[in-house]
Amino acid sequence: MTQTAAQPEANAPARDDAPIIEAKEVFKTYRLGRVDVPVLRGASLSAREGECVAVLGASGSGKSTLLHLLGGLDRADRQPIDVDAANHVAHRGRSIDGFSAHELDQYRRSTVGFVFQFYHLLPELTVLQNVLIAAMVLHGRVGYMGRSAALRERATQLLDRFGLAHRLKHRPVELSGGERQRVAIARALINQPELLLADEPTGNLDQKTGGSILDAMMALRSETKQTMVIVTHDQSTAARADRVVRLVDGKVAR
Amino acid sequence: MYQALLTRRYLTSKIMPLLSAAAVMLCVAMVLIVWSVMGGFLNMLLSSGKQLMGDVSIAWPIYGIAHYEQLIDDLEASPKVDRATPTIEALGLLKLPTDEPRQVQVIGIDPEGFNAVTGYVDRLYWKRRAKPLPGDTHGEDPRLKLPAGFEAYGKTLSYPDPARNQDLPAVVTGLEVSRFYERTRAGYVVSVLGRILPSFEVTITVAPISQGGSVVDTSSQSFVVANEFRTGLYEIDANQVLMPIDVLQEMLQLEEQSIPDPNWAPGQVEFDADGVPHPVVAKTVGVKPARATNILVNGAKGVSPQQLEVEVRGIYETWAQRYAERGARQGVPEPERIQIFTWENKPGLRTFIQAVKKETALVLVLFMIISLVAVVLILAIFWSMVSEKTKDIGILRAVGASRAGVAWLFLRYGLVIGVLGSLVGGGLAFVIVRNINPIHEWMGRALGLVIWDPQVYYFTRIPNQVEPSKAAIVMISGAVCAMLGALIPAARAAWMDPVKALRFE
Ligand SMILES: Nc1ncnc2c1ncn2[C@@H]1O[C@H](COP(=O)(O)OP(=O)(O)OP(=O)(O)O)[C@@H](O)[C@H]1O
Ligand SMILES: [Mg+2]
Repeated sequence: MTQTAAQPEANAPARDDAPIIEAKEVFKTYRLGRVDVPVLRGASLSAREGECVAVLGASGSGKSTLLHLLGGLDRADRQPIDVDAANHVAHRGRSIDGFSAHELDQYRRSTVGFVFQFYHLLPELTVLQNVLIAAMVLHGRVGYMGRSAALRERATQLLDRFGLAHRLKHRPVELSGGERQRVAIARALINQPELLLADEPTGNLDQKTGGSILDAMMALRSETKQTMVIVTHDQSTAARADRVVRLVDGKVAR
Repeated sequence: MYQALLTRRYLTSKIMPLLSAAAVMLCVAMVLIVWSVMGGFLNMLLSSGKQLMGDVSIAWPIYGIAHYEQLIDDLEASPKVDRATPTIEALGLLKLPTDEPRQVQVIGIDPEGFNAVTGYVDRLYWKRRAKPLPGDTHGEDPRLKLPAGFEAYGKTLSYPDPARNQDLPAVVTGLEVSRFYERTRAGYVVSVLGRILPSFEVTITVAPISQGGSVVDTSSQSFVVANEFRTGLYEIDANQVLMPIDVLQEMLQLEEQSIPDPNWAPGQVEFDADGVPHPVVAKTVGVKPARATNILVNGAKGVSPQQLEVEVRGIYETWAQRYAERGARQGVPEPERIQIFTWENKPGLRTFIQAVKKETALVLVLFMIISLVAVVLILAIFWSMVSEKTKDIGILRAVGASRAGVAWLFLRYGLVIGVLGSLVGGGLAFVIVRNINPIHEWMGRALGLVIWDPQVYYFTRIPNQVEPSKAAIVMISGAVCAMLGALIPAARAAWMDPVKALRFE
């Protein structure tokens, strides 16, 4: 299966047998002034439908960078020398590098749910609005108006599952770090994405809180058969994944 | 959708957008006030021109036009002409009961015809008022005490003389001629001399001009001021005096005169059949017709002043053909020399109207340039707001908002600020313009600042109307300008890299 997906065409139709998400030999180098900082040097990662993959790695090893590439937030470097190497990130066998701007927006809107390492909530909005904003972006004005009651219901339920039912009208500044992270997770899940990318969702939390959040996420996952890539440096979190990979020297080691 | 939500949130949580809305508000209010006042000023000028002389005027100053009754008959025979009336304009000296002299423009009119063309009776000031003006809380307006029908004297330019038990010719002066009055805030005038006016007596002196163009002699006569008029045009109200045309004709020696036989000399005698000498009686060899210096013509309904001017010119040419003796002195000026003009082109008024038009345009351009400053201000404020909101932009892009969507967020925000500022600015301008006269009076009293000098601006009151079309143009431009200011920052937001935006601290 990995073989057939090895050399997809840029805009080949999506295939059911391809992994939901696959990074193939991707490179990412940041340029700081005149110095090149290579972060990813041919990193490969794939996740099949319903699979939960944990990515471990030292701080600064490029975990967040890799996750950004998977989520279509950033693009991998082009490799002009080795044209056949087919370095790319593919969703269901379709290279997202070849996506148009609109397709990429659509991909971020409906396919991926992203939980950031540093919550990233909109400070002016309430907890509930922060969750709903992703739905607003997905459905547009008319679509959102049509189903706003159902969406509010769903957002409220999600927040309830994360124990935030009583904080719906609060602003992010009024919440603790753990509570903010739970809001961010609810936002990532509101559009029922097939792929959840979570960047240290429990990294800033104590063992107990982190554990309970993870319990809730796993319970949801077992219902929705969601594919998950979760970045962590916590062994116990990694242990709950189907598979664990390590990011070392810009490459993924098994 | 999310744009609407965020616009609302950003607006209520930040002071910056309110500041930019205030900038828009000030610009909109400023431009609208200036445009309304200057434009209103222009409108007043234009409409007052028509009020003063009808649509078209034929003028032959000093010497006057002879046989003018015939010309008027010819004019009124045209279907394009509604009414024509003769007037005489002359410089004069007016002496008030206080012995103060005033230099005035004396206008001899046929009251009925002059009213038909200009409607001057409507502008007679001293008319009985049944109810006090809104601001006249104590009922101090002297007009409340006038007998009903008082304006009849002004309408006929006559005043009863009880001693001789007959009506004598009277004059109507502009309300500002005597300077006996003080304007009150409510809009009526009160006498500063403490007597009930009008009907004071004035002496008017005019100088007839000989055929050779020199002053023959002066002639003076006393009249009762039967009423006073107010056009609102200071130049007119402070300078004009209306009197019956026949009286002025006599004073200026422009009335019908018989021409004595040039061969006759005093002391000549002739002998009758019996050889008895008799003094030769002065013989007349003809009559010198009466003259009028101006003929005011009003067009029929639907005839523009320009069309009327062409018609009047044609009629004048045919009329002039009838008289063998043409020329200025004969009172039948050559068609190419006669002055025929529409009210807009009235000498003096025309250059003034042009000047005001230019001035209005200039001031508007200046204020628009100042408004550009507001655009730049909004640009600066939005630029810093986009910087401040960089992280939000990253988050929105991360959850799938498109570049256009993010750009629209800020454009929409600019538009909302523009609309808000425009609405408040428009309202502010409306309130200020409507109350500009009280505000101006207050400034005069409290700060000693008098900007609107009636001697300079002709009108005694500042125009206080806001035209809805002007308001709409200015307010829409205000909103569009605010959006323009937001354009560059919005583009910047749209082209931000989501990951970099998220890393922004
Ligand atoms: N936009 C950027 N510009 C320059 N350097 C960057 C940028 N983003 C990341 N880096 C660098 O790339 C390296 C990898 O960063 P990344 O955030 O992916 O690490 P990480 O594995 O997520 O670390 P941590 O566990 O601390 O979150 C770091 O050295 C970082 O300084
Ligand atoms: Mg990281």
